[in-house]
Amino acid sequence: MAILEVKDLNFSYEEEGKTIDNVSFSVEEGSYTTIVGHNGSGKSTIAKLIMGLLESASGTITIDGIALNNENLAKIRSRIGIVFQNPDNQFIGATVRDDIAFGLENHCVEPSMMDEIIDTNAALVKMSDFMDQEPTHLSGGQKQRVAIAGVLAMKPKLLIFDEATSMLDPDGKDEIKKVIMKLHKESSLTILSITHDIDEVASSDYVVALDQGKVVLTGTPQEVFQQEKKLKEMKLDIPFSLKIADELKKRGVTVDRCITMEGMVNELCRLRSKM
Amino acid sequence: MGNFTLGRYLPLDSPIHKLDPRAKIMAMLLLLITIFFPAGWIGYGVIFVCVSVVIILSKLSVSFIWKAMKPMLFMLFFLLVINALVLKTGTVLFTIGSWSLYSDAVFQTLYIAVRLLLMIMITTCLTATTKPLEMTLGIEDLLSPFQKIGLPSHEIAMLISIALRFIPDLIDETTRIIKAQESRGVDMKEGKLMERVMAILSLIVPLFVSAFQRAEDLANAMEARGYAPGLPRTRYKQLEMKKQDWFLLACCGVLMGVIIWIAWFR
Amino acid sequence: MPIAFENVSHTYSAGTPYEYQALRNINLEITEGKMTAIIGQTGSGKSTLVQHLNALLLPDAGIVHILDRDIKAGEKAKKLKALRGEVGLVFQFPEYQLFEETIIKDVAFGPKNFGCNEEEATKRAKEALKLAGMDESYFEKSPLELSGGQKRRVAIAGILAMDPKVLVLDEPTAGLDPAGTASMMALFSKLNKEMHKTVLMVTHDMENVYTYCDDVVVLEKGQVKLHGTAREFFSDPKKCRELNILPPYIVRMKEMLNEKGFDIPESVVNMKELADYIAKEVK
Repeated sequence: MAILEVKDLNFSYEEEGKTIDNVSFSVEEGSYTTIVGHNGSGKSTIAKLIMGLLESASGTITIDGIALNNENLAKIRSRIGIVFQNPDNQFIGATVRDDIAFGLENHCVEPSMMDEIIDTNAALVKMSDFMDQEPTHLSGGQKQRVAIAGVLAMKPKLLIFDEATSMLDPDGKDEIKKVIMKLHKESSLTILSITHDIDEVASSDYVVALDQGKVVLTGTPQEVFQQEKKLKEMKLDIPFSLKIADELKKRGVTVDRCITMEGMVNELCRLRSKM
Repeated sequence: MGNFTLGRYLPLDSPIHKLDPRAKIMAMLLLLITIFFPAGWIGYGVIFVCVSVVIILSKLSVSFIWKAMKPMLFMLFFLLVINALVLKTGTVLFTIGSWSLYSDAVFQTLYIAVRLLLMIMITTCLTATTKPLEMTLGIEDLLSPFQKIGLPSHEIAMLISIALRFIPDLIDETTRIIKAQESRGVDMKEGKLMERVMAILSLIVPLFVSAFQRAEDLANAMEARGYAPGLPRTRYKQLEMKKQDWFLLACCGVLMGVIIWIAWFR
Repeated sequence: MPIAFENVSHTYSAGTPYEYQALRNINLEITEGKMTAIIGQTGSGKSTLVQHLNALLLPDAGIVHILDRDIKAGEKAKKLKALRGEVGLVFQFPEYQLFEETIIKDVAFGPKNFGCNEEEATKRAKEALKLAGMDESYFEKSPLELSGGQKRRVAIAGILAMDPKVLVLDEPTAGLDPAGTASMMALFSKLNKEMHKTVLMVTHDMENVYTYCDDVVVLEKGQVKLHGTAREFFSDPKKCRELNILPPYIVRMKEMLNEKGFDIPESVVNMKELADYIAKEVK
């Protein structure tokens, strides 16, 4: 079943041309879907449209069977959690505890119930030891983990990451990717991640590739990364293993186009032993 | 920034730190009003003793209060000069040429100095022992009765707490932009008028641009997490008045009564 | 005259409860004309180190030798402004320093501060913008109209217009997409190889370090842990990991293949050579 269904979506900012051009795609319940495309391809605009932060010109967005419109914004937003790019600009509370509480307050949760919810969700992202810290004393990765706990507290059915790791250092990126993977695997949360991280794309279930506001490619990463020509036109990065595969092809060696490095190493060993 | 103590919170562990912010704010207001009753030196002595007890209880050091007082010294000196020139009552203390210093000029200045010292002691007692966030909660609760006449007390509190939250970030941002422009040859400290204007512009414009970006991000994040101004919401941090809080208010009430009594019979 | 740090230490907020020693007794000599990467975890002192190069920060102890100047701890530094023209420092997210009405004016701002007249400054600005890959049609536009990547180019042009001898970049590709990163790195490489500028770059992106940089300096907790050629550094993936640095893809791939029985010689350093070698092995 699709938890998110985007159909014939159109949107433009006043001054420019079409930012989102007839976009349709869906996200299956329990899947890990990634949206890729270079800066300016309209990726982040889609996230804002889904959250109802921007209003589309035409087309429909259906979340968990509910069509998004101005009347049911609150209902929709209680079903989706989003983590944005900039760790500083989404930390609202004075401390970790207060920031996780922020969404709960908005959803009118009984104050006496909050402590338990806050502690559980902070534990999920391994922030239990920092509950009374102020954001100035936290790293970017820690702030993003708090942001994740904050949206998890609202029990969303779909979790959106809008380039949530792009401003972090390698350690921070790693932390967040691990947390996302864990949530997906252990709590079978549906993940929609807008990302430049080609390794993350390769490990996802389903990919939507955008270029100039249009959906250019969809499919499993394995399928999408076979489309060499289109990927090159889009100036999209490909996994390192495929770069090797392309170089080998030029040298007359055909290998299985594995998208992970481990897969490619095994494939090369197989070829070598066949000799 | 390091020497600036007026209004700064000090994370210490004291009975005063644990009091309800509403009680502390109300107590501060009561004491500030009390200072303005003309109870003479005896009255000020009584207030000074009481406030000193609170300061000792809150574990604040004398030097902390003194640092808060320091910026006011210049103002007091200025006042003394004016008083010395204008006030010609009381006894003559000494004379230089055709000008003489009268005792009232000194007393008037001292009088104001003592009031100012007391005010600073009282407000520092509040701000140094109350976290900014608790202060906001206290203000919100104290203002909530005025909601009936249309005062958006919750929104005001939200505004203050967000401003407090982003002050350190904005300070960082400012330092970074100053350094970036200095790398482009800007001299923030000296230069001709036109150069100074450009230097300030090169700081102000980027600060505004980034502040707007921040505001937009923040608005999106808040909206996405279900915040809408005016809608009902619950509050995580609940305040609760305990015995100690009522005791503080009672003490302040008694003190105020005593001071009024002294002023009356003076 | 080389760029060198001699026993340099730097402490923030000394004498307060927030005191923090960012650099501890740094001894380092940067080779002129090379492209050097400064790497290390967040908080290792990378940004503090590079801000000493144009005297935005002054050492608490030790001496910084830069071009023909010595900046000694405790001495009042002179002629800092001229130094800042010779050592161009590009901050992280430099797009936030744009403030003029038009792009050309913004880029000309630096040269004007260093005493160029209007005409000369504009000429330099045009050259710098072209070098940074901005088309002439943009020159009269407002910087606010540009995309993130373009803004970054303009901001970097603003430093290039000062015609510095040394270019210092603090995480210049942070937040850019892969295509933007590649073209940005190509620009720095060109400045280094063709225009012979000494380039120092703080970065977390090991792919860039591996592909473009000659030398590597690894910082850890305010100390220099390693200084050597990039090639040598990455030839020892174990050492990289010890220093908490994930080696680039190609190094990891070589490592994995070698573990599985391949015997890839050390001379194989780029993708083409690796492909040549593998093709020979499996064909």
